[in-house]
Amino acid sequence: MSADLPAPSQARGVIGLVASACTSCMICVRECPTWCITLDSHTEQVDEPGARRPRSVNVLDAFAIDYGLCMYCGICVDVCPFDALHWSPAFDYSAADRAGLQQGIERLESWLP
Amino acid sequence: MDAPVAAGRYRLADDPEVCIVLASVGLACCALEVDSAIRTGLLVPERGATEARHTVLLVSGTVTDALAPAVVRIASQLPQPVSVVSFGACASTGGPYWDAPTVTKGIDQLLPVSTYVPGCPPRPEALVAALLGAVGAARP
Amino acid sequence: MRTVDAGAWREEWAAARAAGAHYFDFLTAVDRGDRLEVVAHAVDLGTMDRVLLGTSVPTRGGRLDSISPLFAGAAWHEREAAEMFGITFAGHPDPRPLLLRASEGAPPLLKSTVLAARVAVAWPGAAEPEVRDDGRRTGHPSRRRQRPPGAPDDWLEEGP
Repeated sequence: MSADLPAPSQARGVIGLVASACTSCMICVRECPTWCITLDSHTEQVDEPGARRPRSVNVLDAFAIDYGLCMYCGICVDVCPFDALHWSPAFDYSAADRAGLQQGIERLESWLP
Repeated sequence: MDAPVAAGRYRLADDPEVCIVLASVGLACCALEVDSAIRTGLLVPERGATEARHTVLLVSGTVTDALAPAVVRIASQLPQPVSVVSFGACASTGGPYWDAPTVTKGIDQLLPVSTYVPGCPPRPEALVAALLGAVGAARP
Repeated sequence: MRTVDAGAWREEWAAARAAGAHYFDFLTAVDRGDRLEVVAHAVDLGTMDRVLLGTSVPTRGGRLDSISPLFAGAAWHEREAAEMFGITFAGHPDPRPLLLRASEGAPPLLKSTVLAARVAVAWPGAAEPEVRDDGRRTGHPSRRRQRPPGAPDDWLEEGP
């Protein structure tokens, strides 16, 4: 099957996400030239034992890459300070409708081992 | 003005039962990946007398407002029904050129698309996977 | 690249052509912010000597002599540079737009031109993550609003 052919070393399949590494810093969203990344988050207060005040943490609610617009430049992968985005060789993610090209956290995570 | 189009019957190496008429409109870089799929044998030209049961219009590359009417004309001239596959980001949405005043933001602005293939460009293997899907969807 | 005065542009190219550079390759412009740099390239196919000349014109209202009378191939390049950067090429035999419809608006390749599509669509990077559940903002109130990459200084700001 063609799906089993080895990918050329320079092939860019798709970009996947490690959601647990994402701090919602928004740097990838801001640097994307085609504006294809969207991110939603909220802040929660976390009590720290021994600390006077609770700590604010960002909680990731939604992360999506619109692969209809993505040009696979990899700037988001390069700029992420927490290595949350990675290249993956997967390529079989065509869609029957335009909206299906937008991939959310679940699919983005599934592309990384 | 006419768009560059090559039309022929092909079998998919992954599923030789399937014989399609592939009308490939190569508008920009994505056309090279379609060419690669043919040259590396993922799509095999059909030389025999087998009749093709599916017609696919494959739009590869950036659709400009100037050329879009020619693509629509080609679609109407093919044996119907036609499955339109938009190959690559530009054909699907305008891609990285979505902000350009002269670019049509996806061929689906003018023709109904059955399969959108993301990529910039997609790998030739992605074309095969998409054609299998498009044909599968069109099968009775 | 050799830089020449805008006033000497045609003269310099006439000399280059007379010296053997007959193969015209390209002419284009670059918006350097404070000026437009016009660059053209031709080759002497006999010696393979390459001539790369550049000059500067103002960002608005820039005028330069057309080199189409010297190189027929320059005609389309100058038409494209004219509509994309707003440069006038004096003496051009056919100064019609090449790619854009006449009503397109500000020259698209000037860095100051904001394309309409980028205004019509909300920039996903404008959303601030620091709005708490109770609607109050955390983070520094004086934090400078970000701009999309490549956006000009007067990029309009979208609030959350």
